[in-house]
Amino acid sequence: MSTTLYWIQGGGCGGDTWSFLNAESPDLTELFDILSIEPLWHPSLSALDLKSKEKLDRRILSGEQSLDILCVEGSVLQGPSGSGLADTLQGKPKKDLIAALASKAQYVIAVGTCASYGGFGTDQETEATGMQFHKHSFGGFLGKRYRSKSGLPVINLPGCPCHNDILAGTLSMVINDVPLELNENHSPLDWYRIMVHQGCTRNEYHEYRVEEKQFGEKGCLFFYMGCQGPLVTGPCNKILWNRRSSKTRVGVPCFGCTHTDFPQQYPFFKTRNIEGIPIELPAGVSRAHYMAYKGMAAAAAPKRLIKRKSGI
Amino acid sequence: MHSKKNRVIPINRSEGDLEIHLEMENDRVVEARSVGTMYRGFENLLKGRAPLDGLVITPRICGICSTAQLKAAVKALDMIADVRIPDDAIRVRNLTLMTEQMQNDLRHAFLLFTPDFTSPAYREHPLFEEAVKRYRPLQGETVVHTIRETKKVIEIIAILGGQWPHSSFMVPGGVVSVPGQNDISQCRSLLANFRHWYERRVLGCSLARWAEVRTLEDLDIWLDEDEAHREGEVGFFIRFARETNLHELGKGHGNFICFGAFEKPGKSAMNRSENAPYLFPPGFFLDGQVAPFNQEKITEDVTFSHFESHGRPRHPYEETTVVEPPASDSEAYSWGKAPRYDGYPAETGPLAELVMASNPLIKGILDREGPSVFLRQLARLVRPTFLLPVMDCWLKETGVGNEIFYRKNEQQENGQGFGLIEAHRGALGHWVTLEHGKISQYQVITPTAWNASPRDANGIRGPWEEALIGTLVKNPEHPVEIGHTIRSFDPCMVCCVHTIRGHARRTTARIFC
Ligand code: SF4
Repeated sequence: MSTTLYWIQGGGCGGDTWSFLNAESPDLTELFDILSIEPLWHPSLSALDLKSKEKLDRRILSGEQSLDILCVEGSVLQGPSGSGLADTLQGKPKKDLIAALASKAQYVIAVGTCASYGGFGTDQETEATGMQFHKHSFGGFLGKRYRSKSGLPVINLPGCPCHNDILAGTLSMVINDVPLELNENHSPLDWYRIMVHQGCTRNEYHEYRVEEKQFGEKGCLFFYMGCQGPLVTGPCNKILWNRRSSKTRVGVPCFGCTHTDFPQQYPFFKTRNIEGIPIELPAGVSRAHYMAYKGMAAAAAPKRLIKRKSGI
Repeated sequence: MHSKKNRVIPINRSEGDLEIHLEMENDRVVEARSVGTMYRGFENLLKGRAPLDGLVITPRICGICSTAQLKAAVKALDMIADVRIPDDAIRVRNLTLMTEQMQNDLRHAFLLFTPDFTSPAYREHPLFEEAVKRYRPLQGETVVHTIRETKKVIEIIAILGGQWPHSSFMVPGGVVSVPGQNDISQCRSLLANFRHWYERRVLGCSLARWAEVRTLEDLDIWLDEDEAHREGEVGFFIRFARETNLHELGKGHGNFICFGAFEKPGKSAMNRSENAPYLFPPGFFLDGQVAPFNQEKITEDVTFSHFESHGRPRHPYEETTVVEPPASDSEAYSWGKAPRYDGYPAETGPLAELVMASNPLIKGILDREGPSVFLRQLARLVRPTFLLPVMDCWLKETGVGNEIFYRKNEQQENGQGFGLIEAHRGALGHWVTLEHGKISQYQVITPTAWNASPRDANGIRGPWEEALIGTLVKNPEHPVEIGHTIRSFDPCMVCCVHTIRGHARRTTARIFC
């Protein structure tokens, strides 16, 4: 039995689709084969003519065609002034089609931060919102009571973009009936309990508080450069990007793109601090212990690290 | 006698940010309107934010050209900081952008453009079966290879910049990464692999052999010369396109704009042969002449856009973006603005770049046949031939001198700057004003904004509106001609064309941008 999949794009940049194309072993076409996914529709990859596409939509909405998985990429644009006219499909607000399809799907997967929590434009005239969250508050476009036919709420796969491995893995679990454990923001724990910081090649710098104060210095980016690796969850430094590296590894601070409130309102590239002490410390630590530990760690920092001899 | 008809003309792939409204007479397009159907409000989102925030936010405008957005954003900030960029940082910025560009050109060609060759409209075409074998969505041989090879080559961006898409490794003064020779040698292997595939499967010959093709006659000789030339993707495209007369389709105004692509590092082996500052020079092409480019001549017209007008088109430094919600009694029809250069609409993209560079083959065909679907696609398919050797040279040179990838600079509180680059679809500009340490004004004009522009106050159509006029739709069930024309401009992602039965000869096309 094949699994039907429908992909719809709202207010987004298409980045999650392009990221999905990065999938490797299996790549995208192999994955669809292995999981017997029948892509009913994807706006960039399908070649249905419009009549057939409209017929498909009608058949899904009438229940004639089963819809197993609905993937939503991009936020739901409800503006301006609640009209939904910032994103239309043949003159009609696209949000209406999204809601109708969600009412028929066995599973709804929000791919990327915009679809999950609203992302870009949540405080703008476009009135962007996530499928079942508006930033950190549960509810969003479909509301708290919504459940897909499987009984699950919308499964959120945040990340800007969503990493291809996370999407491939989630599809595989859903299709193989492996129970998904979700965290408080409705993201699968298998990918969203690890911190971005775990696996960063700058961990040794972090350990001894050898900090980067200026771009390209090679050091930990936490105290000055605004790195959120220790504050947000995501497997970037475990599974890596494009199988090669990660932002923090090359010296770009983590911007917390998996966070419910991404993009943050305060500046990027800068750690918010009070007299040199970050306002936000690594998730779960006690401030007093952490500061004492960091002070001692800095004093114990080996010369080779201070001199950046590791070349990272 | 004219017969005006309402027809339902469905074509594949329909969802996204752009629609084309067409009026047809005797199956010919007599009027076209390009309608942007989505507004995301990025410019307003940037207002009041910290100066560097554009480096994180603007890449999210477009998932397939996020490196291009990053580069335009950083160049505007470089200008404000008045900092000179070290050669190695110029190389890394260009190498990553060139990689993204090749990825884009080939994915566009084989995942988005050529799937139309498998349309039932071509069932009688002698090359139809072969086209289906190559381009069937998610299954065609070329599609599968393209997915495989493009995702490998973009590993170069991850090595040099952390990830693709959406990294922010370019900062005023250079780049944050400090690649070592271990990283560079991996990039070189990835590039060599990609080049091998490109020569073997796409071009069907070596870059050196292709460089000898300088006229239409040369092209015929090249095509006849070798089975591999005919069977490569470029050869197959030429054969399919000739049979279909794609060189007569989708003409347009014939004005071109290019902001200048890939500034050269000061010291490079590549500079020995010529000393032009760019690989593809900036310019504006009108009536067969290239005029020097001056960004002050750019304006945005919002007469037909859902934004408040100020009575006259304004330069992006002055232009604001204030929504005027769509209303049925308004003549505005698009969420896109109408960019103009010196008052003229202009087409942008690989064809424009090669015209400014006076490439003999492309410019020769332009002089003989004018712009067309065929020429735009040919320019895009062969653009990597110009990038690959330069990339190889710059990669070899990266980090061998004194390894400076970043030059310290003061972050400015106030100032104005612009970043003009060539993204994959053509001219991309960011115009930024800082006041009291915050962004007070941010305007972005994307390549698709030029190409998909609506009319201006004088009623002058945008480039692809113009390119559609006169198009004969042979098979109204499958109006592939409309799809080819729009897709030859590489609208950001995907486009679809269909007509809707409704009031007054309206047909609609949808494009994702
Ligand atoms: S750079 Fe960021 S992710 Fe890496 S060790 Fe430092 S805090 Fe952690």
